[in-house]
Amino acid sequence: MSLQERLPAILAAAQQELRAAPDLASLDRAKGRFLGAEGAFTALMKELGSLPKEERPLAGKAINAAKQELEAVLTEVRGVLELKAALPKEPADFTSPGRRRPLGRLHPLTQVTDSIVRAFRKLGFAVADGPEIEDEVHCFDALNTPKDHPARDAQDTFFLDSNGRPLLRTHTSSVQIRVMEKTPPPIRIVVPGRVFRRDNADATHNPTFHQIEGLYVDRNVTVSDLKGTVEAVFKEVLGNDVKLRFRPHYFSYTEPSLEIDFTNALVRKLGKEWLEIAGCGMVHPQVFENVGYDPEVWSGWAFGFGIERIAMLCYGITDIRLLYENDVRFLKQF
Amino acid sequence: MKVTLNWLRNYVDFNGTPEELTERLTLLGLEVEGVERLTGQFDGVVVAQVLSRDKHPNADKLSVCRVADGQGERQIVCGAQNFKAGDKVPLILPGASLPLKAGETQPFTIKVGKIRSVESHGMMCSHEELGIDPEAIGHRREDGLLILREDATVGQPLAAYLGLSGSDVVFDLEVTPNRPDLNSVIGIAREIAAVTGNPLRLPQVILPAAQGASASASVRLEATDLCPRYTARVIRGLKVGPSPAWLRSSLEKVGLRSINNVVDVSNYVMLETGQPLHTFDLRRIQANAAGLPEVVIRRASDGEKFTTLDGREHTLNPENLLIADAAGGIALAGIMGGLHSGIQDDTTDVLIESAYFTPTGIRRTSKSLALRSDASYRFERGADVQAAESASRRCVQLLLEVAGGTVSGAAVDAFPNPPQVKELTLRHDRALVVLGVEIPSETQARFLSGLGIEEVGQGSGSGSATSVWRVPSWRVDLKREVDLVEEVARLFGVDRIPSTAPRGAVGAHPFDATFDRFAEVRRILTGLGLDEAQGQTLISDTAARWVSPDVVLLANPLSSDMNALRPSLLPGLLDSLNHNLSRRNGDVQLFEIGRVFSQQNGVAREGWRVAIALTGARDPRFWSGADRDAKADVYDLKGLVEELIERLGLRGVVYARRPESTALMLESATVTLGGKMPLGQLGQLLPTLAKRYDLRDAVLLAELDLDVLLARGNSARSFKPLAAFPSIQRDVAMIVPEATTHEAVLAAVKQAKPSNLEAVELFDVFRGKHVPEGHKSLAYSFTYRAADRTLKDEEVQAAHDRLIGVFQSALGATLRA
Repeated sequence: MSLQERLPAILAAAQQELRAAPDLASLDRAKGRFLGAEGAFTALMKELGSLPKEERPLAGKAINAAKQELEAVLTEVRGVLELKAALPKEPADFTSPGRRRPLGRLHPLTQVTDSIVRAFRKLGFAVADGPEIEDEVHCFDALNTPKDHPARDAQDTFFLDSNGRPLLRTHTSSVQIRVMEKTPPPIRIVVPGRVFRRDNADATHNPTFHQIEGLYVDRNVTVSDLKGTVEAVFKEVLGNDVKLRFRPHYFSYTEPSLEIDFTNALVRKLGKEWLEIAGCGMVHPQVFENVGYDPEVWSGWAFGFGIERIAMLCYGITDIRLLYENDVRFLKQF
Repeated sequence: MKVTLNWLRNYVDFNGTPEELTERLTLLGLEVEGVERLTGQFDGVVVAQVLSRDKHPNADKLSVCRVADGQGERQIVCGAQNFKAGDKVPLILPGASLPLKAGETQPFTIKVGKIRSVESHGMMCSHEELGIDPEAIGHRREDGLLILREDATVGQPLAAYLGLSGSDVVFDLEVTPNRPDLNSVIGIAREIAAVTGNPLRLPQVILPAAQGASASASVRLEATDLCPRYTARVIRGLKVGPSPAWLRSSLEKVGLRSINNVVDVSNYVMLETGQPLHTFDLRRIQANAAGLPEVVIRRASDGEKFTTLDGREHTLNPENLLIADAAGGIALAGIMGGLHSGIQDDTTDVLIESAYFTPTGIRRTSKSLALRSDASYRFERGADVQAAESASRRCVQLLLEVAGGTVSGAAVDAFPNPPQVKELTLRHDRALVVLGVEIPSETQARFLSGLGIEEVGQGSGSGSATSVWRVPSWRVDLKREVDLVEEVARLFGVDRIPSTAPRGAVGAHPFDATFDRFAEVRRILTGLGLDEAQGQTLISDTAARWVSPDVVLLANPLSSDMNALRPSLLPGLLDSLNHNLSRRNGDVQLFEIGRVFSQQNGVAREGWRVAIALTGARDPRFWSGADRDAKADVYDLKGLVEELIERLGLRGVVYARRPESTALMLESATVTLGGKMPLGQLGQLLPTLAKRYDLRDAVLLAELDLDVLLARGNSARSFKPLAAFPSIQRDVAMIVPEATTHEAVLAAVKQAKPSNLEAVELFDVFRGKHVPEGHKSLAYSFTYRAADRTLKDEEVQAAHDRLIGVFQSALGATLRA
């Protein structure tokens, strides 16, 4: 067989061997077998000299083309094997735990506040805020709290050792007054925030806690509007199966005043028929007069509730103090 | 307020179940906090008559009796000896249980059984078995069976024979502070009457004519501002003793202890009418010049001593109102009687006080003396000024009934300035305006009348029908039109008002955007792996002073642990770290967003902050890698702060090392904007404090002013074209004195201003081999790039050489090979 006739078989064998090399060392060995000093191609080049002179250029060209083809394969395979060599040699155990980049968690009170705020915002409410340090005017007087109401006692309210005997707000309702004083009606706000009562900490009390409150003032606002919004918010927060019950109550800054009970599967699981959840009512005309609104033109409602209570209900937390200890095993659960 | 179903039924009919009543009351605004069912006393015990008594065939001391129980005859085996055929005795039927005795946990239940092989179908009872004091019910005390009166009805339940009521239901109601009228059984019955439409039956009081036309006591009312009305009546010749069963059980069922018939009657009338009454032993009231016992209603003098019947001595002042005689105080008005003026066992003549004391006066005295009673509770919420008289009459009626005696002399009623009757005008269309539901004016009128609010006129103002209503004296809460609308709503039923979908104005408030930016900060920090904490606003002043000298203190703290408003979030985060460490959570990475407080010149201020606290492992535990045990250090903290600040779009933030430790931090830096506007601080906790908080690993703390951060931040983003030409990189390693900071290197770079420099990156800091003591090696990588062409090596080299020249001259740097 002539040299040129044998060349394709040698090239094919060489390509196959190079491609089959499992690692760089085998590749180098394979290369040696074909392109090295003792290699098949080197032997062919030597054989070239023994050919008749007129055949040499053609045969030489063929060998060179084959060698180039082989070099290209070699470069390609080497590149792949080099990448492979850089990888770990041990097999990966895909059942082993991965290297985690943990996301931090939002505090459960934040999560609950966000979900309540989201419900209000869908209905066109804007988030409002006011100071935690308040005065008696905004916390009590303007809200029509009787002069000798127990809430004004140093027994129930924290007073500060500062000028003018300021106090820590006992409810977010003070923000109602702050907003109405500054803004002409209509008003549509939701106010989440910290409030303070002079209670010793126990499973259901913490001197610091959170409330959220909605206020809507417009023309021709009625109890029907109040009920409609309350239902929309609680369906969003507590689920569509929630049932609400309104019953008359007393707050100095609303008239009529109502308390809201709710029930759902959760409440029934607790063995209760109803659970008290919020207070609400139509803004008292006296409150409107206190902020300079005409109660004959404007009417409105307010409703508010405790955020801890909702968080504890939703997550089944039994001790309010857990919410303020920041135990990471607790925080990581939400 | 506790009230029983049977007591309510004295004044109003209610045919529903207790559950229905609970529901009705709750929806009226009288929340039922508890319902307790009382089984009747002596259930299954009846009056029986012994028909025959024969000797037991197998036992000497037993007898076999035939007994009539009202239904038929029974055979009973009995061991008692004190009875004969024809006697009427208590018989407990099989299946019923004897009352529990002291020490028993299970009641003894009677069964049909054989005693010495003779069947017995029940048991005849002794007073001990029933737990009855025979003398208290007017029977003889003897061994053996309790022998009942001859006129007892056979078959009658023993409870009825004894005048006890049977089973009952006790409702515990939450009365809101605006409705003092509901602190009475009649008040609650009135609500039931209004909601059911059934008539209210008030007790009919007709008193016998008094003996003597002139008063037999004198009243001198000196402080009409604190006591607008004072009535007094005298009964002579009554007999103090135990109360009859109906009276005792009425009180006991609602949680009051029975004392004696006179005191019990005044308590009963208070519960029934809401009007507190007080009875004095007439002997204890000194007579005036005219020989009449005289009570004086006056302010106490400053420093006057008075001992209340609980034995406590009080020092009074003129804010306190006293009921007194010439010798001194006999009662603290409206709150509690005196130690010596009350009813004694041998009291025969009493003076009945029924007065109206103003709420503020009672509240002030009750609070300053820390003295509360059922009477003060009612007066401070507002009693019914008109009930003073009617309740006094009711009290006399009942006293005569249960304690005997005669009314002596005319009643005294000191009521110099009766208040004007209040009238309110109701526009009937207000119901629609306020409630959103159309309620016909006749229906509204029916609701109001049902509550005892009397219509006194009608009219039409501004196109709408109006009516005028007279507010009854007991409804101190009805002050303006909207209060009448609320009454209409209550009786209409709030649950019947339809719900309408939200509508109307879209809200706006400046804080609305801030709320979202807080959420953004939370998102960034949780994204960086920190858990959100919520700390106490109230902390100890000691901890507060570690961070600030200008601490806001509480005037009335609950404890020294919580006597200051936090001036920083960091002490609270330290508490949280401590809490975690004590529960073996050693790796904690927290942030908090909250308000902090400071005080300047006595003025308290508040502002928002964000703070970070790290301790323990940098990363979650992993099973391989050289860094796996790395603890968080100050550069982890710095990295978090940088990331946050960058994401919020702040530029020109300067970190300046503080030369000294602070009261909180060992090593720390201030964070400012451009070196001027304070932004916060970051650093490492003092080891002494770490020890106090029981923290083992390094504790890294940072706190930033969130108000400034958000005000100076810029969330606007704009696109910059991506680099089109390649960059050239040059690395430099140089030895500099230890004190040379990264910032100093950057300043030198800025001074040299090499053209086309795109980025500077510190990639190694090294101390040790080949680096002289007091020095360190810093390695930087400089990236050069032009926006419009490919840079040539030579031009980069020229710029870079100049830069190195500046390092050498300005920093005293030596290049490393």
